[in-house]
Amino acid sequence: MTHRESRRQTFYMYLFISPWILGFLVFALYPILSSLYYSFTDYDIIHPPKFVGLANYTEMFHNDLFWKSVVVTVRYTFISVPIQLLLALGFALLLNQKIPFRGFFRTAMYFPSMVSGVAMSLLWYWIFNPSIGLFNYVLSWFGIKGPAWLMSPDYALYALMIMSFWAAGSGMILFLAGLQGVPSSLVEAAKLDGAGRFRIFLNVTLPMISPVLLFQLIMGVIDSFQVFTQAYVMTQGGPNYSTWFYVYNLYTSAFKEYRAGYSSALAWVLLIVVMLFTALIMKFSNRYVHYEGGGRK
Amino acid sequence: MSTIPAAGPTASPSVTKRRRKVDGVSIASFAALIVTTFLMLLPLFFMVSTSLKSKKELLRFPPTFLPDSWQWSNYKEIFETLNFGQMYMNSLIIGILTVVGTLLSSALAAYGFARYRGKGSNFWFMLMLSTMMLPYPAIMIPQFILFSKLNWLDTFLPLIVPAFFGSAYNIFLLRQFFSTLPDELFDAGRIDGCSEFRMWRQIALPLSGPALATVAIFAFIYSWNDLLTPVLYLSSSDKFTLPVGMSSFTSSRFRIPPWHLLMVASVLAMLPIVALFAVAQKRFVEGIVLTGIK
Amino acid sequence: MKRKRIKKTFALLLATSMLVVLALSGCSGGKSVGDVAPSGEGDSGKSGSSGEKVTITHYTIDSEDRTFIEKLIPDFEAKHPNIKVKVEKAPYEQFDSKLQTLIAGGKSPDVTSHYGYGGFAEYYNKDMLLDLSDIIKEDGFKASDYSIPDDLMKIYTVKDHVYGIPVNMYVTLMLYNKDMFDAAKVPYPPSDYEDKSWTFDKMVEDAKKMTHVSDDIAKTQYGVDFTWSERDMRPLYFGVEPYSQDTWSNGGVPSETHFDSPDVIAAYNKLFNLILKDKVSPTTEWSKSVAGQNGDAFVTGKLGMTVSGSWSLAGSNDFPFKVGVAAVPAGGNDKVRSVLFVDPLLILKGSKHPKEAFEWIKYLVSDEVQEKSIDLSGGNPPVNTKAAETYYKHFDGIDPADVKKVYEGAVKYGFESYNHLITNYSQINDMFINEMQPIDTGHKTVEEVMPTIQKKVMEIIKR
Repeated sequence: MTHRESRRQTFYMYLFISPWILGFLVFALYPILSSLYYSFTDYDIIHPPKFVGLANYTEMFHNDLFWKSVVVTVRYTFISVPIQLLLALGFALLLNQKIPFRGFFRTAMYFPSMVSGVAMSLLWYWIFNPSIGLFNYVLSWFGIKGPAWLMSPDYALYALMIMSFWAAGSGMILFLAGLQGVPSSLVEAAKLDGAGRFRIFLNVTLPMISPVLLFQLIMGVIDSFQVFTQAYVMTQGGPNYSTWFYVYNLYTSAFKEYRAGYSSALAWVLLIVVMLFTALIMKFSNRYVHYEGGGRK
Repeated sequence: MSTIPAAGPTASPSVTKRRRKVDGVSIASFAALIVTTFLMLLPLFFMVSTSLKSKKELLRFPPTFLPDSWQWSNYKEIFETLNFGQMYMNSLIIGILTVVGTLLSSALAAYGFARYRGKGSNFWFMLMLSTMMLPYPAIMIPQFILFSKLNWLDTFLPLIVPAFFGSAYNIFLLRQFFSTLPDELFDAGRIDGCSEFRMWRQIALPLSGPALATVAIFAFIYSWNDLLTPVLYLSSSDKFTLPVGMSSFTSSRFRIPPWHLLMVASVLAMLPIVALFAVAQKRFVEGIVLTGIK
Repeated sequence: MKRKRIKKTFALLLATSMLVVLALSGCSGGKSVGDVAPSGEGDSGKSGSSGEKVTITHYTIDSEDRTFIEKLIPDFEAKHPNIKVKVEKAPYEQFDSKLQTLIAGGKSPDVTSHYGYGGFAEYYNKDMLLDLSDIIKEDGFKASDYSIPDDLMKIYTVKDHVYGIPVNMYVTLMLYNKDMFDAAKVPYPPSDYEDKSWTFDKMVEDAKKMTHVSDDIAKTQYGVDFTWSERDMRPLYFGVEPYSQDTWSNGGVPSETHFDSPDVIAAYNKLFNLILKDKVSPTTEWSKSVAGQNGDAFVTGKLGMTVSGSWSLAGSNDFPFKVGVAAVPAGGNDKVRSVLFVDPLLILKGSKHPKEAFEWIKYLVSDEVQEKSIDLSGGNPPVNTKAAETYYKHFDGIDPADVKKVYEGAVKYGFESYNHLITNYSQINDMFINEMQPIDTGHKTVEEVMPTIQKKVMEIIKR
């Protein structure tokens, strides 16, 4: 890149992203810096914050609820994110084919993401009901006595993971959008070369949608490290702390314990950890993610 | 919507002729599709069925699947219980403006991140991602102070204006799509003497229909179902949005929630999203005419 | 190449954050969000008694049984032309977070109550509440003029300073399913607290006759669900006090707790035996399965008796069976059989117009408004003893004489709920729910769990 070209690129980049930078400076910077500042203070919301240095950060490492929440959250993330991605991709591939009632199927798949949370909660109450619920009913066909799901410390976390699969429709939409960018000429060419369905997927389709895959992977990690609502509404962190998620712990510290300082410190530790994960994913993805343009090659 | 298996000329060149033979894999996947569709439509069934039950029937155990007697009057009652029409309008205004703002600003910023390798671009990009990594409870108080200083409390502004400055999620999403557009297109544009802004408008945007449709859907649903922000920023009842109004049904610790009314509200609240989706999902069929250009 | 870039990005990010930290810690002694001068309304600290119009905010839960106060505002404003009342609302789940955000943002409401998870003691210990003693003295407010019993005024008085005016009083009572009693040919339990034949053991005996466990969950029914108050309070029912006496005099901070004492353990065993040994009470799993989205298994008609708060009366018209109310049986504590849940109206320290706020509170507890509120709220129990007569008659299908007896007995044998009186209560309660769960399923015994609970309660209280 010549010097002039690089200056031109820089100029246009800043020009285009300037709305966001402006919004960031006006709306996001102050809240972010405040929370960083709170994280070094003892702040009970009523009285002014008192600076305590790193005390909040050192405290969390001796707090067993903190460690519980870390284990719960990491387990949830590592199990549910890959499955969500696979489901979303699978259905996107299926529904990208010319099959009968495609529009209907696509709408149905995305449906759970369209309804309000309360409507979904009605469904969960029934599906996971140990005695009259759908899951245990189906299991009983095979002679299995199903667990108590949301009421069982061993299964509640899995129940929440299963709940998250109902949201696979959003991921499917994203993959579908990505699949529209796969030029059919490439697929045809591969076919002429005698490539099988699987090979075509691996060598043609997957690289073409890898940017969307990367997006979903990173967003999946960011989001699932912040799971809160389901635990708040369905299980209140229980039974026996089995769904005591990181952000649930953070929320409790802030608004039940009146410890805005400590909870801000929790938030910043989360930020750093998720940032590291993201950087790691990005680093590995460089080898595999295929960008058609953007002067990256 | 084309629901006929590929035969004859199709709507777009990207959709090509597929296998005509039906094989085992297709049948298995079709079966999986039907089972999944059933599971995915269960919430709809529960919503509609519950919305037509009487208060008494809701207390029964085991619960009934279909209402004993269909209480269509529930759909009238919601307008008497809540200021439903007003809330619906408020949610619509906020939702539509949010979508417009998000599309415009996010598409601009995403283009900047995707097409230019400026100095510090990685820094800004990571910074943008990091704004999504702080959980909302951590920034709730300072953000409230900020909007309070701007004198925006009890207005729609905190719910709408930030969308006009781009949302990190959607910028990231669109950036991924803009990055897949071939350089050759833009080189050709440049040779033709297009300005950078015109290339954004006339090359990047038209080729990203599915992605933009996705952003529109996501932004609308997010705004439409958002409860925390309006609860925090709106005080006057006549400014309440649908989720705020609906939450009042489940807010008493001392009463059994009127689930039937809540589900009536949920069914009615779903309609604009379904309409929007039905329109937007067509974009996924049309596809992009990339092959035609190359 | 890429690697370097990311490294550089991180270095940059790190450097920026360091700078920011330095900048911020440098000015940490300065002004903070908490003490930013109250902005907005444009008058300074002094309550504007000079005839200019002031606005006060009443913060409450956004549900019918709380927001009915909006209907009272026109009448109040007509009587007090210089005061405007605004109602600020939040859903139950967001009540605490919004309140704290409002306070932190310098937009503190004037009047509220402890409707979230935290109770009075929490607000008091966090220094959120205004001491009303001076206002009361100046105003000449006397509880007796408002038919508020002195006992109830004492609940929100700490060391002779008044911090809250009681407005509603819920009691613990027993609801029973008349249809199930009839079917099992068991006579109804008495509503009279002085009926000495009505004991815990008698209740178990009756419950056995109504319990019927079957493989078919639709046919299963249990005799009693004894959910007397929150878990930490239940030993009190058997005459064992888990918190030391000084709790009630020093703002809800006990110097000692005795959750691992043999007496407490015996008390809990007695209750868990209802499920595990006598098998007349359902497990939590069963209750939750049957309750489903409604949250209360009793309403489905599968429970003979339930011990619960008087708020359950409000929905009783809709229950698919006939309902009666009875006294809580005697369990071995001859002073305490019912838990009282007295909700106060509080003025927050951040209030700019405490005097006007107090006018509003006085209006809300006046005889006439207390009586009007019963209907408007759909059955909120007043503290006002005159209005109470109207309340007893409010519930169709339930004999007012029974409601009256149950209420009067409950007050006589009542104790204010710990959740209003002990500091950091919401955490204590969360901890109890989680730590006791394995007992309920039979995975652990009370003896195994209580030492941990004792340790954790002390940790939370000391916090």
